[in-house]
Amino acid sequence: MKIELPHTQQVYRKNKGFLEALHIDGWLLLGILLLLATSVAIVYSASGGNEAVITRQIIRIGFALALMLLFAQIPPNIIYIFTPWLFLIGIAMLISVLLFGEIGKGAQRWLDIGPVRFQPSELMKLVLPITIAWLFAHSKFPPSFRRLVLGAVLIAFTGSLIVVQPDLGTSLLIGMSGLSVLFFAGLPWKVIAASIAAVVLSAPVAWHFMHAYQKQRVLTFLNPESDPLGSGYHIIQSKIAIGSGGLDGKGYMGSTQAHLEFLPESTTDFIFSVLAEEMGLIGVIALLVLYSLVIARGLYIASQAQDNFTRLIAASFMMTLFVYIFVNIGMVSGLLPVVGLPLPLMSYGGSSLVTLMISFGILMSIHTHKKLLTE
Amino acid sequence: MSEHLEFNSDSETFTHKKQFRFRLYVAFIFVLILFSFLIGRMTQLQLFEYERYQGLSEGNRISVETLPPTRGKIFDRNHILLADNQPVYALKLIREKMDNIDAAKLAILVILDNVSPERVHTFFEKFKQRNRSKSYTLPFTLSEKQAAQFAVISHKHPGITLSARLKRTYPHGATAVHALGYVGRINSKELKKLDVKAYRGTDIIGKSGVEKYYEDTLHGTPGIQQIETNVRGRVLRKLETLPAIPGENIHLTLDIELQKFAESLLGDMRGSIVAMDPQNGEVLAFVSMPTFDPNLFVDGIDQKSYSALLNNPDRPFINRAINGRYPPGSTIKQFIALGAIENNYISPNKKIYDPGFLLYKDHRYRDWKRSGHGLVDMNTAIVESCDTYFYELSLDMGIDAIHDTMAPFGFGSHSGIDLHGESKGILPSQAWKMEHKGKPWYRGETIISSIGQGYNLTTPLQLARATAILANRGKIIKPRLVRTPKTEPLEQIEIKKISNWEKVITSMENVMHSKKGTARQHTLHLPFKMAGKTGTAQVFSLNAGDYDADAIREKLRDHSLFVGFAPVNNPKIAVAVIAENAGSGSKTAAPIGVKLAEKYLETQLQDLEE
Repeated sequence: MKIELPHTQQVYRKNKGFLEALHIDGWLLLGILLLLATSVAIVYSASGGNEAVITRQIIRIGFALALMLLFAQIPPNIIYIFTPWLFLIGIAMLISVLLFGEIGKGAQRWLDIGPVRFQPSELMKLVLPITIAWLFAHSKFPPSFRRLVLGAVLIAFTGSLIVVQPDLGTSLLIGMSGLSVLFFAGLPWKVIAASIAAVVLSAPVAWHFMHAYQKQRVLTFLNPESDPLGSGYHIIQSKIAIGSGGLDGKGYMGSTQAHLEFLPESTTDFIFSVLAEEMGLIGVIALLVLYSLVIARGLYIASQAQDNFTRLIAASFMMTLFVYIFVNIGMVSGLLPVVGLPLPLMSYGGSSLVTLMISFGILMSIHTHKKLLTE
Repeated sequence: MSEHLEFNSDSETFTHKKQFRFRLYVAFIFVLILFSFLIGRMTQLQLFEYERYQGLSEGNRISVETLPPTRGKIFDRNHILLADNQPVYALKLIREKMDNIDAAKLAILVILDNVSPERVHTFFEKFKQRNRSKSYTLPFTLSEKQAAQFAVISHKHPGITLSARLKRTYPHGATAVHALGYVGRINSKELKKLDVKAYRGTDIIGKSGVEKYYEDTLHGTPGIQQIETNVRGRVLRKLETLPAIPGENIHLTLDIELQKFAESLLGDMRGSIVAMDPQNGEVLAFVSMPTFDPNLFVDGIDQKSYSALLNNPDRPFINRAINGRYPPGSTIKQFIALGAIENNYISPNKKIYDPGFLLYKDHRYRDWKRSGHGLVDMNTAIVESCDTYFYELSLDMGIDAIHDTMAPFGFGSHSGIDLHGESKGILPSQAWKMEHKGKPWYRGETIISSIGQGYNLTTPLQLARATAILANRGKIIKPRLVRTPKTEPLEQIEIKKISNWEKVITSMENVMHSKKGTARQHTLHLPFKMAGKTGTAQVFSLNAGDYDADAIREKLRDHSLFVGFAPVNNPKIAVAVIAENAGSGSKTAAPIGVKLAEKYLETQLQDLEE
């Protein structure tokens, strides 16, 4: 074995191109860059041609790409070693947010650490699925009931810390990313079916514990026209933007809904509406195809991963990405309640982009480091 | 053992991988199904409901604004501007769009440093209770400087916008207000009558005078402007425009210089002067004193000023020229004389003896001259304004013949001037008395009618018009305040013998120029011949013996009247003057008429020379 190792390394090096040397997956990078380029173009239009905005966004993208590259260099086994510590740090920060956090937009989400202000829940989007994957790294398929319960408890505990911030949307999404790990780890179908039934039945109970603004969002979602100038305004204007785009859109820079400021948050949460207005149904389908290809590539990476830990992480990250896309588009098109969630890789803004790009970096690391892990 | 374990582990890994891959497929199919679901939703919105959302999108950004038309300007006959439109700035407030109403109020108080803070407070108290989404205009205008100051800080105050509009202004102020009229805010009564579409964006309307009569001409037609607005209603871009059609400009027949001169002649006196061109009825001066400033009414007059005008004992709001109903006194004698000689009731040369009164049914009808005029023929009767001559004549003619003689000159009927609300006056007849008083006519009433007293009431305009018709030898002209290119063919009073007309006119010339004429002292310097007739009308019936003008309270003193035209052979101006409670016609009204004719003919001559 020790004799062969240089040989394999030699063969390996021989086939290694520039991208592989950097631990980059070319296909995934291509998809990401295409989406980011679209983002730059649409954000530029949605901001009404604001060059300051777009300059900031390009700098953020550069920073996020650099982080992706950095995380692609970290072998998954290093992450594996640090996982319990990361989880403990994340939990500690969530608790400190509750104790010392700054209040922004009616919720305590921000933590001030010297010059940096960030949301620990953003970090948890990565750490929780990694932790659950760590939990199931050496498990059988299907895993033992005890382990599943432990996983569920960790997910529920993390989620509840975020719920009390209060940030129901993020806690549900983080919970989903944890649950997706359970699914890929082999959660029995019977349990899945029973859980779905339980969620549906417990909806009225959840309603009882919701904050007034959350109830309002749900009510508005169910009937946006009931309050056209209040909470329903966003959805109505967003639907007008999407609907008036038609088949081929109003043309680039042609979003009257955004430029005339009828559409709120047009560069962030409602960026999809601007794209739909300017590019029409054709542009929408193209975007969804591009997202599907990125997810497909990510799931392929998961299928090629050589151990439980990495394949669970990869699959979970892609499902999380999908859920974010679905929830955002569902929200702006009036299918789901307004939860204040950016569209991955499209919306203007830094923190979610950074998280996402780190997850892509980890994905690339999984794909490019697997041969070293064969032993 | 180790191999076995390894194998087991491998096979387990293998099945594990298979199971995992199966779940990946399930997940990816789930992704594709939900993405297809999203595409379905987008198809619904973007294809099936496209038209609806397209419409909503257009409706969102495009709003239609009315462009109010510019009101036509009014000029005098020499193209001097009488009614203009001046830009003024005002602030419009919308409560809903304000971030902070107190900050807005403070900003307004700072800008409007010339307005008392209480008035701003009062406005805001009302404003707070009104419709939040509607725009209200602050009732204070801004100077150019204040407008510029606001423009600088306007971005800090959403909900306050600077609006520029055109305000009607009357540069000559109170001059000719009764002819010109004025505009004011549309009231609820007017709102019911007018075409709301035509007045969209306009809040003023002609209230009186030419401004009211020619409202349709002056107003114009509003246009439409499609504008693109953002969510705060700010205008970003103008799309399609259907321009407003401005109202037509109007030229009055008035000569504003002559008007001012005429007004100055009456001065502080109450009264009226109407001067017109006898050839076509164009009104050259149209005076009713006292006057008031029409500029006060354009933006709504304050209650205090309004009550002051309304309660003024001199009644400035009354348009004396068309609504002042005065006994004409002796100023109608020439018309009766003309009728009498045309219809052979008397020969112009026949002499009647005047002892200073006429005795009829035991009642003495006194002449103004107690000693009497002696033997008088028609010429003397007119020149010296002998009452007894006309008393006798009237008994021969009867009231109906007098009526028929005077009616063609326009007495007792509307002159048809282009103003609303003209009075008819009264030209009595037997039928008239039966209709209006329900009693038969008494011959004694004929006697006092012959000297323009009794039931007789005329407006200054009627007197001027009748004089003009006499001056132009029977052409029934229609007085006009606005010049018009089209001239209607004029009716003509039937002339039996033109010499009769010339005789009466000569007598009127003698009034002005002969030794015994009642107005002789005022015409000595004139370079032209004028014809005229003075009149002194009793306001209150008194016994002649008690007559003492100074002792009678001012309001009960006689009205001073004068009618006349000049030059005699080619009349260019006919004039009627009434000075209320100003004593005898020869003393007050006649010199005013003479000066006015002189002033007008002077400029006419200058024009001819040029």
